[in-house]
Amino acid sequence: MLDTLRQLTRVCGMAVAALWAYRLRSAFVVAAIALGIASLTVIVASIDGAERKARQIVEMFGPDTAFVLGGDIESRAVGQRTLTLSYEDARRIRAELPGVYLVVPMRARSNVTVYFGDRRMDLPIAVGSTAGYAEVWNWPLAEGRDFSEEDVERGAKVALIGDTPARELFGDASPLGFTILVDKLPVQIIGRLAYRGVAGMGPPVDDRIILPITTLTQRFNLDRKYFRALRVKFSDPENMAFHVENLRSLLRRLHNLAPGDKDDFTILTAEEILKFLSMFKGGLLLFLGITAAVAMVVGGFVLANLFYLSVSERRTEIGLKKALGAKSRAILQQFLAEAVGLTLIGALFGMILGMGMGKLLERLEILQILFSWKVFIYSVAAAVAIGLLFGLKPARQAAALPPVEALKGV
Amino acid sequence: MSGAEALIRLEGMTKTYLQGELTVEVLKGIDLQIAAGEFVALQGPSGSGKSTLMHLLGLLDRPSAGRYWLQGEDVAGLGDDRLSELRNRLIGFLFQTFYLVPYLSALENVVLPGLYSPGSARHLRHRAEELLVQVGLGDRLHFKPTQLSGGQQQRVALARALVNDPQVLLADEPTGQLDSATSAEIMELIASIHRQGRTVVLVTHDAPTAACAERSIFLQDGRVVHA
Repeated sequence: MLDTLRQLTRVCGMAVAALWAYRLRSAFVVAAIALGIASLTVIVASIDGAERKARQIVEMFGPDTAFVLGGDIESRAVGQRTLTLSYEDARRIRAELPGVYLVVPMRARSNVTVYFGDRRMDLPIAVGSTAGYAEVWNWPLAEGRDFSEEDVERGAKVALIGDTPARELFGDASPLGFTILVDKLPVQIIGRLAYRGVAGMGPPVDDRIILPITTLTQRFNLDRKYFRALRVKFSDPENMAFHVENLRSLLRRLHNLAPGDKDDFTILTAEEILKFLSMFKGGLLLFLGITAAVAMVVGGFVLANLFYLSVSERRTEIGLKKALGAKSRAILQQFLAEAVGLTLIGALFGMILGMGMGKLLERLEILQILFSWKVFIYSVAAAVAIGLLFGLKPARQAAALPPVEALKGV
Repeated sequence: MSGAEALIRLEGMTKTYLQGELTVEVLKGIDLQIAAGEFVALQGPSGSGKSTLMHLLGLLDRPSAGRYWLQGEDVAGLGDDRLSELRNRLIGFLFQTFYLVPYLSALENVVLPGLYSPGSARHLRHRAEELLVQVGLGDRLHFKPTQLSGGQQQRVALARALVNDPQVLLADEPTGQLDSATSAEIMELIASIHRQGRTVVLVTHDAPTAACAERSIFLQDGRVVHA
């Protein structure tokens, strides 16, 4: 056992010496392998990134929540009415649908500007909310308090501020108790939302200000009867499919839709969003997977080629070593060690390259990237596999050379 | 002499090669014995089969027929791994073209056979340095073969042949590529190795070189003509 270990150490030492002696050739193999590993790194990292994003979305959305949008999103382009959800709908759902514990109508006004002193910031959205915004959206407050029933009932001029505008207007100081202008409406800040920072599709989520829904409707002249979306929370998330079907048939009844009519609303659940994301992930996996596989196979063939060359060029060395007492196994081990050594160095460079590429893709907002030990382990495993797979044949050929043949072959 | 006494004993050893359709018989039944501690020259014109015979003696190749006892062990039918072990332990080689690994230093070349045997690395390195000092290269331990003259390269090869302390030194035209002065130095070193009690088999076609040996075996046309 100890002897075997010592033998392996010595063989590895010889492999290192040979790799260094033929360093130009080694560099080619390293480069070829590095490209393959780089693409593998990007794939694993971006798939992990997509998965993390999916988890964040579900977390934000809540597994117990259905999201009802006015209008059928599939045919919205045709110019269908999107304002189909009324306060009456919300009230009836709350009263009649079993398992519902919260119904939150949502309204929003896009493109508002907030002012404080001489500072200003344009925000993509001002959200109208009923009592308990933080609870409903699973979005903790960094400080201050949430909207109360009373705030909503009397249309109080109060607001929750998102993390980005809070920093923009107040720097590191607390915004609590200060009065800012939302367009022309002065409101007092009663709470600051925690930083959420999910980037990606759509505008950054932290760029927002939240007002009581009544305040938003009255002060910004929005339609008082209809709203754009409705958030419904159920007490047992296990039966979401069942609840969603109930919700659908209730809404169809409330909207007086005949059996053949299309829904004039759209129900989204976390599950549905996940379905979309896993489709996206599948596409990513296929596309990048093929790219990486091709790159790795190319790298493998470069390795195999240069090793065949190496074996024929180093016949004398092989014959000599056998004459001096090397067993076939020792020769095989040396050539495999050389192959795996090179692919491991290639993996190292490939990971560095891949991380660089990943960071670039992330900066260009093409993909979200998550680096982990998984990337490292996959890369190393792939490198060893390539080394063994493509190095085995040339190494076997070298080991099988009879000493006298190898010595003669000069 | 019986088989048990001789270090090397061959009986009816033949070697045939297939050259295309043609079977070429290089060795046509060799019988010979070499006792432990002898210094034997294997002489003959080129094409007489002496190099082939040396490869067979050195276990680098297998006979087509016949028997071979080395130290009383019948080695004709042994497997590759066992042959590697015997070469490693019992036989040191010198070749006409030295066969040093070009990218390794003198010291690393000398150490090489020891890397395939179980000894400790420190002991091995110590012995290799000692041998290089003995052959007069104590100041060139870390030179690459290309930085050494032909005679110096053969000295490195000689040190390498001795690093595992073998019973037998097989030298295949060791001075074939050297000038006469350097040849004489190398032959003196080989003679001193014999004086240490080792068996030396020297393949040569050169009579003055063969004169260093105690006994000559002449080969012609694949047969021993007189021993």
